[in-house]
Amino acid sequence: MPLYFGIRHLSPAGAKHVLETLKKYKPTLVLIEGPSDLTELMDDICHKKAIPPIAMMAYSETVPIESILYPFAEYSPEYQAILWAKKQKILCRFIDLPSSVFLAISKQRRKQTEQYSNTVDVYQRIAEQSGEKDQEIYWERNFEHRTNAVSYQQCTNIFGKELRELSVDDRYETAENILREAYMKKQINDAIKEGFAEDKIIVITGAYHVEGLKNCEPLTEKEIKALPKIPAQHTLMPYSYYRLSSRSGYGAGNKAPAYYELLWKAMKKNNLIEASYQYLSSISSFQRKTGNMSSSAEVIEAVRLAITLANMKKSNIPTLQDLRDAAITCLGHGSFSEIAKAVASTEIGTKMGALPEGVSRTSIQSDFYYKLKDLKLERYKELEAQVLELDLRENTRVKSQKSAFLDLERSFFLHRICVLGIHFAQKQKSYQEKATWAEKWLLQWTPEAEIEIVEAALQGETVEVAVAFSFKETLEKATSITETAEILESASLCGMPQVVENASIVLQGLFVEENSVIDIANTIHKLSAVIRYGNIRHIDANALLPILEQLFYRACLILEKSCICDNNAVEGIISAMDLLHLASINHDALDDKQWLTVLAEISNRDDLNTKASGFAAAILLERGEMTQQMLLEEMKRRLSYGIPADLGAGWFEGLALKNKYALISRLSLWEQLSEYIDTLNEEEFKKALVFLRRAFSYFTASERNNIAENLGEIWQFNTQQVSAVLNDTLTEIEQETLQQLDEFDFGDI
Amino acid sequence: MENTEFQRLPAEELFQKEIDALIAAEKDPIPTGWKMSPRSVFTYITGGKVNDVEITPKYMGNSRLIEIAIATLVTDRALLLIGEPGTAKSWLSEHLAAAINGDSTKVVQGTAGTTEEHIRYSWNYAMLIAKGPSKEAMLKSPIYRAMETGTIARLEEISRCASEVQDALISILSEKRLSVPELAFELPAKKGFSIIATANTRDKGVNEMSAALKRRFNIVVLPSPANIQTEIEIVRSRVSQLSNSLGLQAEMPSEELIENVVTIFRELRNGMTLDKTQKIKITTGVLSTAEAISLLANSMALAASFGNGTITDYDVAAALQGAVVKDEEKDKIAWKEYLEHVMKKRGERYRTLYKECKELNR
Repeated sequence: MPLYFGIRHLSPAGAKHVLETLKKYKPTLVLIEGPSDLTELMDDICHKKAIPPIAMMAYSETVPIESILYPFAEYSPEYQAILWAKKQKILCRFIDLPSSVFLAISKQRRKQTEQYSNTVDVYQRIAEQSGEKDQEIYWERNFEHRTNAVSYQQCTNIFGKELRELSVDDRYETAENILREAYMKKQINDAIKEGFAEDKIIVITGAYHVEGLKNCEPLTEKEIKALPKIPAQHTLMPYSYYRLSSRSGYGAGNKAPAYYELLWKAMKKNNLIEASYQYLSSISSFQRKTGNMSSSAEVIEAVRLAITLANMKKSNIPTLQDLRDAAITCLGHGSFSEIAKAVASTEIGTKMGALPEGVSRTSIQSDFYYKLKDLKLERYKELEAQVLELDLRENTRVKSQKSAFLDLERSFFLHRICVLGIHFAQKQKSYQEKATWAEKWLLQWTPEAEIEIVEAALQGETVEVAVAFSFKETLEKATSITETAEILESASLCGMPQVVENASIVLQGLFVEENSVIDIANTIHKLSAVIRYGNIRHIDANALLPILEQLFYRACLILEKSCICDNNAVEGIISAMDLLHLASINHDALDDKQWLTVLAEISNRDDLNTKASGFAAAILLERGEMTQQMLLEEMKRRLSYGIPADLGAGWFEGLALKNKYALISRLSLWEQLSEYIDTLNEEEFKKALVFLRRAFSYFTASERNNIAENLGEIWQFNTQQVSAVLNDTLTEIEQETLQQLDEFDFGDI
Repeated sequence: MENTEFQRLPAEELFQKEIDALIAAEKDPIPTGWKMSPRSVFTYITGGKVNDVEITPKYMGNSRLIEIAIATLVTDRALLLIGEPGTAKSWLSEHLAAAINGDSTKVVQGTAGTTEEHIRYSWNYAMLIAKGPSKEAMLKSPIYRAMETGTIARLEEISRCASEVQDALISILSEKRLSVPELAFELPAKKGFSIIATANTRDKGVNEMSAALKRRFNIVVLPSPANIQTEIEIVRSRVSQLSNSLGLQAEMPSEELIENVVTIFRELRNGMTLDKTQKIKITTGVLSTAEAISLLANSMALAASFGNGTITDYDVAAALQGAVVKDEEKDKIAWKEYLEHVMKKRGERYRTLYKECKELNR
């Protein structure tokens, strides 16, 4: 019987013991669990310039793109075995199902409705039975810390056997495993037939498969022919520790790659405890680098505590959990947040793999080219810039659903590659302000774009997956609601409803501490746009409504207080009020009553910035909540003798920002203004003049004419005369006077 | 035989049987100065069964924290338990000392008036004047005695002591010796000596601990009850105990009311609804379990003295307003938002409470 060596993928102890066993056993053939058609990648894996982490990748040529990934870190037993075999010039092969079959199977699995994996629960159950809360820790304590190769091999084989017994059932996944084992068995038998001595073959597989391989019947040639297949490509790609830790679907999870590398290095030196020292000192030195106090004494205490914690579980080597708890207690003074960044850097790290040039041809590249063709964009892949105009609406003149929305799909695609930082398309400003369905793009291909696509491969297998990942990352980093709202908007442009939903959750979490009415109003505006125009991009925006309501309610609660501000800040507040006003008109769901109450309050209060009060009155007027009578009374109160001129005029300025026609047509209002100006003395008049002039600057010439007519009527002048004076160019003397006014000291306002 | 004379017995007397059973069944090595192995201490705190003796769980929560606490004491480091009021800091410290030494009574109760003498030693002045300085004239502090005997001393509410008093601990903890210059000798601590201190971080009127002192402790932060069932259980049992001992002539609050109050407290404390779908603005007040208990007890007192003996939503609303809105400006916004976004949408169950609360915030 060949030697079956059960391992866990990505296991430092496994890597070391596999190496040791290989050296002792001196096999003539090394067989490894991995798609059999990927054996040809082994030369590239062993290339001098190939630096792990790297991954083998296989992907379908058909759409939608299916892909499988086999990541290798330096401490992967498979990786070390391949390196050793190549160096010793010993034959080495992968023996699992070919990738084309794997892809066909995983495509079918996707159609299964059953819950995908139960092995995780089984792992958890085994761990709990041994008194460990976490299966990772269970594994580390019982396997990674084992320094004897033979006992490691025996233990993993027993573990795999128990795992099988606990998880046998009729699920799809189990069936898949049986198929894979039968195929591997066939490969092993074939090798024996080829003439390799049975006891000089070593088989390196996941611990789970050892028992199966020993006992199962091999597949027949006929059965192998009958397996489903889809055409597939394969390649190597650079990988990263970050990626390794964030996706734990493959084999067993590897949440702390940088820590495992420490373990691997310590293991090679036959001094496991050194990994513990390294871990804790690395956290301490990170703390120091980032300006936090952290002494060697604390590290020493942390090491002692970690070892004592391990002792309590009858072991001498601390596990990651022990180390982290000790670090929290001694270096973090009891709170994890204090050392969270240091922990991330020490456990995960930022290591990236590398490959020699020309080796990588990843699925995202082929996905990109496929999309170009599918969306009829191929002719834009030129070094010369070309313009593309899109109409996002359904094209009713064509037959198929696909071509009806071709432009919309193009828009999604172009937005997506922009998010990935691929410099191929640039969105141009659309000049039709109101046209939500038109887009204009400038497309230009550059050689750099090709490189950027390969870089994007680290984020996902297809453009869509990569974009989703990139959004996920930026969302995790987002700290303000405006930032998040931008992500949300951009996700809706990219046609990614799931991201929109996630962003809305993040947004809800972030706005809890938000106190800037301006930021809230801008966010509301963005959300409102997504909600109103989402349907053209097939985004169901109703889920965003509750958040819009909550934001709006918060804005209502804090708006009044925000209006206590100086004349510089009030501009922002007023544009915020305008945005809120827009939102309240556009969305029936918002608490309109509350909004009007707040506006009335702002309009009535005398101690707020008067321009804001004036603007609130203007909105009320526009909404029909303020009658002419009320406006007149308010005006009388605001523009009465004794009120400082700048305050009164400021109020008028705010009022004049909206519904100019309604104001112009009300003669009584101008009478009121005229009376007010009459009451001012010269000094006050100068102050008021500045504000009034500014207020009138928002009016067009013809509007000013109308005002002139009004005033002319009041003062019983000839309309034309007045108009001429008003629209006349300024004389030099007047200009000088105005100049003086500009230099007027407003310090006391 | 039950001793009924005192309000409360020390832990080692209350749980004598369990401690004896654990010692009798001991199999693991015992650290110097300890009565039982670290594992047995762990069992004593978190519960279990030894030779047919049921060990009641003393601390219900994250047992990993207990492991860390015990491991700290094994390494002869001092242990500092930090947490909000009502998170069982003192309770845990007492039981740890009881299990490790069979003696939880070497306690310094920290206050703003605690002096350095309470930490080190003072003198019997009559004897000092009559005979001059001698060992007999010395009044040893609990910490002094713990050093002499190689046991654990407890220091309650360390952050309430003045900074200079806290500082007296620094050299004791690092050198494990206490010098007595008057008698020209130094007391070395025996193996097994350690200190368990407790501190309250979110309270007002506490002194920030110096970095030098903090560094000499391993710090374990005790969290609020992890799930709502535990917290409801704690609140219910404490409220009924309180109303018995105070003789309140009111009905116990209904299950539903307790659950509602605890829910509101938990949500505002954690800044998130219980189903984790929505974040909430956190208020400035602590809103601890202890506060929920006193809120309900107060409502009972109100109902008994001025109402018909049944707690109404009106009573609770007023009490909630007082408990939640500590800072008029900020908390009011948070509380109003909570009412509108969360409580209002919960339907029938909260309707009258919502209305009463809303009424108070007009």
